[in-house]
Amino acid sequence: MLSMTNISKVYRSEMVQTNALRDFNFQVNEGEFIAVTGPSGSGKTTFLNIAGMLETYTGGTYQLDGIDVGRLSDNGRAELRNQKIGFIFQGFNLIPDLNLYENVEVPLRYRGIKAAERKRRIERCLEQVGLGARAKHVPAQLSGGQQQRVAIARALAGEPRFLLADEPTGNLDSLMARQVMELLENINKDGATIIMVTHDPELARRAQRNIQVVDGQICDFKLYQGGLEKQRAGAEV
Amino acid sequence: MSELKPIFNALWRSKTGALLLIVQIAVTLAIVSNAAFIIHDRVSFLNQDTGLKAEDLFRFNLYTFGKNVDIAKQQEIDETLLRAIPGVADAVVINQVPLSGSGDSTNFHLKPTPQQSRGARAAFFMADENLLNTLDVKLEDGRNFEAADVVYSQGFDKTANVLLATRSYVNELFPDGDGLGQTIYLGDNPFKIIGIIAPMKGPWLDDEQADNVALIPQVMAAPFKRVLIRTEPGRRGEVMQQVEKVLLASESERVVSRITGVDKLLLEQTSQDRLMKNMLLVLITVLLLVTALGICGLALFNVGRRTRQIGTRRALGAKKSDIVRYFLLENTLVSLIGIVLGVGLALAMSDVLMRHYSLPRLDNWFILYSLAGIYVMGVLAVYWPAQRATLISPSIATRSV
Ligand SMILES: Nc1ncnc2c1ncn2[C@@H]1O[C@H](COP(=O)(O)OP(=O)(O)OP(=O)(O)O)[C@@H](O)[C@H]1O
Ligand SMILES: [Mg+2]
Repeated sequence: MLSMTNISKVYRSEMVQTNALRDFNFQVNEGEFIAVTGPSGSGKTTFLNIAGMLETYTGGTYQLDGIDVGRLSDNGRAELRNQKIGFIFQGFNLIPDLNLYENVEVPLRYRGIKAAERKRRIERCLEQVGLGARAKHVPAQLSGGQQQRVAIARALAGEPRFLLADEPTGNLDSLMARQVMELLENINKDGATIIMVTHDPELARRAQRNIQVVDGQICDFKLYQGGLEKQRAGAEV
Repeated sequence: MSELKPIFNALWRSKTGALLLIVQIAVTLAIVSNAAFIIHDRVSFLNQDTGLKAEDLFRFNLYTFGKNVDIAKQQEIDETLLRAIPGVADAVVINQVPLSGSGDSTNFHLKPTPQQSRGARAAFFMADENLLNTLDVKLEDGRNFEAADVVYSQGFDKTANVLLATRSYVNELFPDGDGLGQTIYLGDNPFKIIGIIAPMKGPWLDDEQADNVALIPQVMAAPFKRVLIRTEPGRRGEVMQQVEKVLLASESERVVSRITGVDKLLLEQTSQDRLMKNMLLVLITVLLLVTALGICGLALFNVGRRTRQIGTRRALGAKKSDIVRYFLLENTLVSLIGIVLGVGLALAMSDVLMRHYSLPRLDNWFILYSLAGIYVMGVLAVYWPAQRATLISPSIATRSV
């Protein structure tokens, strides 16, 4: 469903030019759970941003569900993002002035979904992440793990086919990180394709496929068939 | 409207800035609508029709110090001399000058004293039969006075017994409109109303009875007199330069002073009103600017404060237009609340002004115009910050932790 061919990304400032991605080739199939690892500054976030159309790329072609993203306008990208992609950020990025209900509602409003349907989805998704009772709270009243679960509910409410997560557990302790990971695994089982950037090798190992980005390129490519079962069995990788 | 709910909630949860702005908008609306109303009131006061062509009229003082001068006879000579100056349309020796801010007024009654009867106040001008022509005011009804009607006196030893008056004055004494031909009394001296003249202002614009004017055919001989001259259009300047020379050539034991155009006197009389009008204009401008700056400033501050959430909203599918829309709606909300409070405040302020400064009641249209103006100004003021917000990249969401 996602296909990147020779994608490159160059950041130019007055002094320096950074080649964040170089000849980046990558395919993702429907339903995959992919973990992206790699050293700091290697281009993981850049890759994710381009995949999610948060940034434009400098060269190459990127097709999402057969649509050539390079030909879309800013509005076209916003619409596609809103319809197909859910984001989970390391910093949660809940809107502090909105309560949980309103936070989850944000992408649904941009999609123009009717109030009754919004309510149904918001309640279901908050329930799903175990925060149904706290809809009226504001983010500051929650722990980090709870905030990230709200952010996941917000991503889920749009029923995206594609979930992009940039270090979703980066700000969480290991217990909370595991809860979030389990949530993501369930979502993947329900059919969503997930790409997750992480620094945690243990979490990465639970994904079906691992890629490593080094210096703006994919350098390592491992495929775990039934990765979850192997990990539970304590299998070596 | 449901779109406004989360915006309102978000506003409510961090409300300090918004509350200040609401107060500012309310105060601005209250002051601007009242000030605009007062300005409008003053402008129509300043631009009112006086019934006189002030730019063709001028006046001067004539003070005779010569003890042996026959003042009454000299006045006749003077008028003849003045009327002969090229460019002079007509000239009269007169007790007071219209529109000058200084004048005489009195109460005429329906019955002679000591009987009690209805009375009404009028400003009056006394001069010979050339008065109406000098003023260039039309006779609407009845007849003008003639040479035979003019009474020459030393003081109030004898008085004229006819007069001309404006219709508004005559109708105040005779509400049935049948005043022409009737006799009214100043003390026990009778005056027959022989003619109705077209509307003209008396000496004072700022007078409850500014339209009540009577013209009396009487000339009093006195060492100090005023002279009113009407010139042909465009020739006033040249005539003004000649009067002193002409008069002193005939009789030198006197002083000609304060040769002044009536339009200038009118300006002097209304200088306070013009000052007030201009100050209120400045006040309105400053207030609107400050409020626009406030709206723009708060919006800019909010763009900065919300950089991350704007990026997040973009990442979650907001188009640039959605971001602009958010700021416009937020501003609308703040403006609406401010405007609702401001309307109340404007009415209250008008009430106070009415009670303490005897101003007319604030016309609601001015509130409507002002609030529309403030709203439009708010939209314009918020547009630039909103535009800046659209430049925030959605990648902020992943780039800032
Ligand atoms: N806006 C930008 N302007 C200039 N250079 C940038 C910009 N964003 C990223 N870079 C550079 O691009 C390279 C890749 O950055 P990227 O954020 O993708 O790395 P990363 O793999 O996500 O790192 P980390 O693990 O620390 O998050 C880095 O060298 C970074 O400095
Ligand atoms: Mg990163």
